[in-house]
Amino acid sequence: MPDILESSDPRRGNRALIQAHDVAQTGKNDAIDAAHSVATLPSSLASRPAPATLLFDQVSKWYGPVIGLNEVSLELCPGITGLVGANGSGKTTLMRLAAGHLRPDLGNVRVLGHDSWTHAAKRYIGYCPDTDTFYEEMSGRQFVETMARLHGFSRLESRRRTETCLEMAGMAGRADRCIRGYSKGMRQRIKMAQALIHDPELIILDEPMSGIDPVGRQEFIQLFTQLARRGKCLLVSSHELQELEKLTDQIAVMARGRIAAVGTLAQIRDLLDNHPLSILVATDNPRSLAGALLHLPDVVGVELGEGENLIVRARNPRGFFRALTQLVLEESCEIRHLETLDDSAQAILGYLLGTRQA
Amino acid sequence: MTSASPWKAWLYLVWLCLQRQARAHQLVWIALGLLALTTAVVGLNTLGGRWTMNHWRFPRGGGGTQLAVWVEGMGPLPGSAPALALQTALKGAARSILFQAGLSIFSNWVVFSVFLSFLLPIWSLSFATDAIGGEREARTLVWLLHQPLPRPGIYLAKYIAVLFYSLAFNLGGFALICLVGGRAGRPAFSLYWPGVVCATLAFSALFHLMGACFRRAAVVALVYSFFLETVLANMPGYMKRVSIGFYTRCMMFDEAQKFGIQPEKPYIYLPVGSLTAEWVLIGITALSLGIGMMVFSRSEYHDLN
Repeated sequence: MPDILESSDPRRGNRALIQAHDVAQTGKNDAIDAAHSVATLPSSLASRPAPATLLFDQVSKWYGPVIGLNEVSLELCPGITGLVGANGSGKTTLMRLAAGHLRPDLGNVRVLGHDSWTHAAKRYIGYCPDTDTFYEEMSGRQFVETMARLHGFSRLESRRRTETCLEMAGMAGRADRCIRGYSKGMRQRIKMAQALIHDPELIILDEPMSGIDPVGRQEFIQLFTQLARRGKCLLVSSHELQELEKLTDQIAVMARGRIAAVGTLAQIRDLLDNHPLSILVATDNPRSLAGALLHLPDVVGVELGEGENLIVRARNPRGFFRALTQLVLEESCEIRHLETLDDSAQAILGYLLGTRQA
Repeated sequence: MTSASPWKAWLYLVWLCLQRQARAHQLVWIALGLLALTTAVVGLNTLGGRWTMNHWRFPRGGGGTQLAVWVEGMGPLPGSAPALALQTALKGAARSILFQAGLSIFSNWVVFSVFLSFLLPIWSLSFATDAIGGEREARTLVWLLHQPLPRPGIYLAKYIAVLFYSLAFNLGGFALICLVGGRAGRPAFSLYWPGVVCATLAFSALFHLMGACFRRAAVVALVYSFFLETVLANMPGYMKRVSIGFYTRCMMFDEAQKFGIQPEKPYIYLPVGSLTAEWVLIGITALSLGIGMMVFSRSEYHDLN
């Protein structure tokens, strides 16, 4: 890979360690909690001299009466963080707040100590938006060079950076055509190239793999990994957990404007297993099913709800659902409706079990 | 890391805005069409020698004698030589008035009624509303907003680009119309161009502000132009003082006073002095720019994604 993105921050090595520490702390301290978003800040971080690359401090954002982000606290240091969530979960709102395109109604968002809304912060942010509009009359090369010039680089320096970034994004040989003739994948690559043009510390990538072919995805994954190794902080959003799994261990799951869980996949799974889950089960014969359910090892309690509904409290959801399926087959029970009552857990569960919840 | 200069970035932004603004869009084509139409109509009138009062009829309205014919056809006054001399003098004066009325007619019909009330606002808005409004509609504003440039700087760069084209189009268009107006039109340009410049500054700043405030800025600006500038600017009393056109007219009337051009009923029109009008127009420009910068700096533009 070309070498324009030279390191400018000698503290990066330490901060990568801090991130590892954060992840470990997150796993120990945080829980999936529908009432409060997960805070990933150990208290000791407050006194740390070097600011976090990206800091969300109790951030809420409303769109009129609709809440887009609800009391989110998050701290990112160099490395790759995957952001996963269903449509409308708040991913794009979080990313646009981080990029300084939105302002929080409550709390604050800081990039290396600067308010993300200010132009001072934007010098450290590379943003690859999910929007697919460009200056269509320009060629890819002209577009990226224009972005470089808008950062204040001289013509020569802009050209040098443009060539390097186009090469990194895999567009060096085909960037002279007009953008309006580009495929979705080529557009994504141009967006990626422009996001890297000023060697930013924080790179925000909103659905960067969308429209990219498998070979391109692999190239992007390699690029992201190399950037992270150079001490860059990457925040990558996606609908697909599997896609992010290939990229990073550090995942934040979003649901209904909250960060439902943060950590490695293993940590999130452990958290979920230890977190009692409320499940509504509608059946024709609630009493006999309740009796059978109480014999399952992961069931903590069963309540008779309204009508013929049961509310089951269970640990280890994956184990519980496996056992429930077995029980239904053996006892020939008819289950009319099955619903997880805990929103956050439901969202995470949806991702972990590979069935996304909308 | 090679240092980046904010000044270089801003100057390049101005250049980029000039380039982007040069791309003809629908409203500019409409503006060009209006210019062509007006030029053609003015040209036809010039060819027909219509910028005089010779063809006016006496009494005014259909069926009367043309003023020129009426003056020439005045029979000799009975009596002495002094009476004849007086009649000749009056005839000469009447001929002169009929012939010299070109500037007044051109000013009233072309400059005040068509150019100032209609063309100038439309031409200004066709460039000014597109500067930010067009980027919002095309969803390309995101590429400017994530650059490390202060938002007021982005707004100002856009205004400079708008002003370049608005001034060129408005002054150029006005010059062309005046040129085609022949003997009646040419003095109009030298008299009224400062008013056109001041009005362009104010209209551009106001419509640019609308671009920052409204998603469909062109529609809002059109509504403003038709209702506020056309209707309100011609109403008696003080209400018209909220319109840009009023102050521009006042500047123009002041310049043209020595040619006997003034509002039809000054005691109803209540014009302000040229200097006051000039300062008001500059004030509107500065205020609109200030408010625009503030709005643009604080706006989130949810329509970008």
